[in-house]
Amino acid sequence: MITLQEILVLITFLFAVGFMITKFIWKPAFLKPKKKSDKACGAKDCGCH
Amino acid sequence: MGKQINVALIGNPNTGKTSVFNQLTGLNQQVGNYPGITVEKKEGICKLPRGLKAHIIDLPGTYSLNASSLDENVVIDLLLNKNDKDFPDVAVVVSDAENLKRNLLLFTQIKDLKIPTILVINMADRMKRKGISLDIELLEKKLKTKIVLVSARKGTGIEELKEQILNYQKISSEPCLNASDMDPEYFNLLRKTFPNQALYKLWLVITHDANFGNIDRGTLTKDANFNTKSVGDLKRLQQKETILRYQFINDLLKEALTINLKNATDLRIKLDRLLTHKIWGYVIFSIIMLTIFQAIYDWSTIPMDFIDVTFASFSEWAKNALPTGPFTNLIAEGVIPGLGGIVIFIPQIAFLFLFISILEESGYMSRVVFLMDRIMRRYGLSGKSVVPLISGTACAIPAIMATRNIESWKERLITILVVPFTTCSARLPVYLIIISLVIPNKTYLGLNLQGLTLMLLYLIGFGTALSGAWILNKILKLKCKSYFVIEMPGYKIPIFKNVALNVIEKTKAFVFGAGKIILAISIVLWVLGSYGPGENFNNAEEIVTLRNQSENISEKHLKEEIASFKLENSYIGIMGKGIEPAVVPLGYDWKIGIAIVSSFAAREVFVGTLATIYSVGSDEEETIKKRMGAETNPVLGGPLFTFASGISLLLFYAFAMQCMSTLAIVKKETNTWKWPLLQLVIMSSFAYLVALIAFQVLK
Repeated sequence: MITLQEILVLITFLFAVGFMITKFIWKPAFLKPKKKSDKACGAKDCGCH
Repeated sequence: MGKQINVALIGNPNTGKTSVFNQLTGLNQQVGNYPGITVEKKEGICKLPRGLKAHIIDLPGTYSLNASSLDENVVIDLLLNKNDKDFPDVAVVVSDAENLKRNLLLFTQIKDLKIPTILVINMADRMKRKGISLDIELLEKKLKTKIVLVSARKGTGIEELKEQILNYQKISSEPCLNASDMDPEYFNLLRKTFPNQALYKLWLVITHDANFGNIDRGTLTKDANFNTKSVGDLKRLQQKETILRYQFINDLLKEALTINLKNATDLRIKLDRLLTHKIWGYVIFSIIMLTIFQAIYDWSTIPMDFIDVTFASFSEWAKNALPTGPFTNLIAEGVIPGLGGIVIFIPQIAFLFLFISILEESGYMSRVVFLMDRIMRRYGLSGKSVVPLISGTACAIPAIMATRNIESWKERLITILVVPFTTCSARLPVYLIIISLVIPNKTYLGLNLQGLTLMLLYLIGFGTALSGAWILNKILKLKCKSYFVIEMPGYKIPIFKNVALNVIEKTKAFVFGAGKIILAISIVLWVLGSYGPGENFNNAEEIVTLRNQSENISEKHLKEEIASFKLENSYIGIMGKGIEPAVVPLGYDWKIGIAIVSSFAAREVFVGTLATIYSVGSDEEETIKKRMGAETNPVLGGPLFTFASGISLLLFYAFAMQCMSTLAIVKKETNTWKWPLLQLVIMSSFAYLVALIAFQVLK
């Protein structure tokens, strides 16, 4: 029979996995600059400042 | 409760703006990021007389409102957008008594935006010593503002500043200069086209093309004959604006400022000569660094041991006090040991930041940057790369963000790519625990061997960063102009409050930033280590008891055998065994393999992971160090953490790219996944190769 402590372990585990996914998979994958102005550096953008 | 006054704290770099912010807000401050970008946002609450409060934003340092970097854009974005919730009711421009002329350029620009502006002249306590005297009354009259003489170091003038903030409505919002003097015809046209907008604000919007969308295009009159100017023409007008402003400032300071050079001491010149000397400069820098690393070890031993023992006892207490069951085990064997693995390093990290803050506050760090420019040039870097490389000792993320002030894209890209080699604070827990296990705690020629090893690892990190930069400089075919300009601030005795706040803020960020990840990983690892598929895991007790039936072993030994068997057949054990063939040649077992894999999220997770894995199923109250020291190598026998495997592990962590957040920030700063992926593959392969060679040679 599943005990209360086991349910608590399951909930805590799911929270932990959810946190890790949000932190390392979801956010970095969708991390985009607010706006790409012509001042943003990239590729061969010399003297971008 | 009355209305909260929004205050923007603005100023040139090195004017002591943050010191004024600290004096005003004390501990009522928080650090975050501006939405959508990674520029640091510092804000705090200041208690004013009559029970009122001010919300203060410490904006990034800028020399003018002609922005050339992301940090500077933040200042302009805020000052141009009245709809921003942080738009200031009053701006406080912090200037430095010794560099008033340059500081006033920014002041006059902000004043011309018709925002009530207070001028703070900081470092007022040094004016007499430097032979500086000011006609404050005349300055106030000509600048149409209120001036407050402040010494953030001594805390003088702060109450008067609070009083002025409170009475900001009495400050004139009349501009200092007439913007239309730059080009009367063009500005008249502007005025007609956008009749409801402040003229200088319009000018800034046009020159920066920032927030242009904030202007209601419906306000454009239908018959307006308005043509925008070319970029070249706008640049020329900007130059004209700067000249006009300096003419105004020069005329003003001729009357209001006198400097008696006889009073100025030449101690700074003498110190500069010594600290930036081509031989003595480096000798002094090396001695300072050596002292820091020795002190980190010597001073933190007692608090570290205390924390280690406390967490072990706490874990034991939790097991006894809470009702028996898997959740209690999760807390006692997963969460507490995992967190203990991070809290234990607070003393060392606090000491490291203490020394870095003192060096920055004293003005010495700028000399180091200047000194290092000579070396950096040879490796295709700029003197400005030193700041990210030194900041990298705290964390690669702000360090990579700090590359934004490097003008040449090639130098900036190289710096971004090599910064993760410098020893960040996340590596420190790994280094400290491994060093304490494999390097004897002895002194040689008065120097602690463990401290020396730590310093060597820092030098390896820095050396690899330079070598990497040299190689990248040869490979990358980008041609950019580069120049190096740095301001040398005066020498100062560090302000205790600033140093303390910096140490608290950085340590807090490390503990809470890493703490959440470690807590989550500890929970996941404990579950994976405490549950498993198949018969072997479920019937572990019977299988082990049956195996040891003929042998007369103690109950304690049998329990350990069962725990070990269960762990090997748990989910984590199966995963660990899967990667074991790849890590055995490096001298590690599957448990270290799991710790390495989990620390791809963040390096500091390594110790917490091992602490959790070694705690699963254990009834003994033991410290992390003892548990790691007691581990045996399943393949070679003997202790797992030997000199060879320890050095191999240290070198692996010195070179491996194990930080997802760093990869994300590199992607963000370079606008492509190409560079972070290259970093990941090259650094990790190199780390594996070096660790393999080290173990095979030393074993």
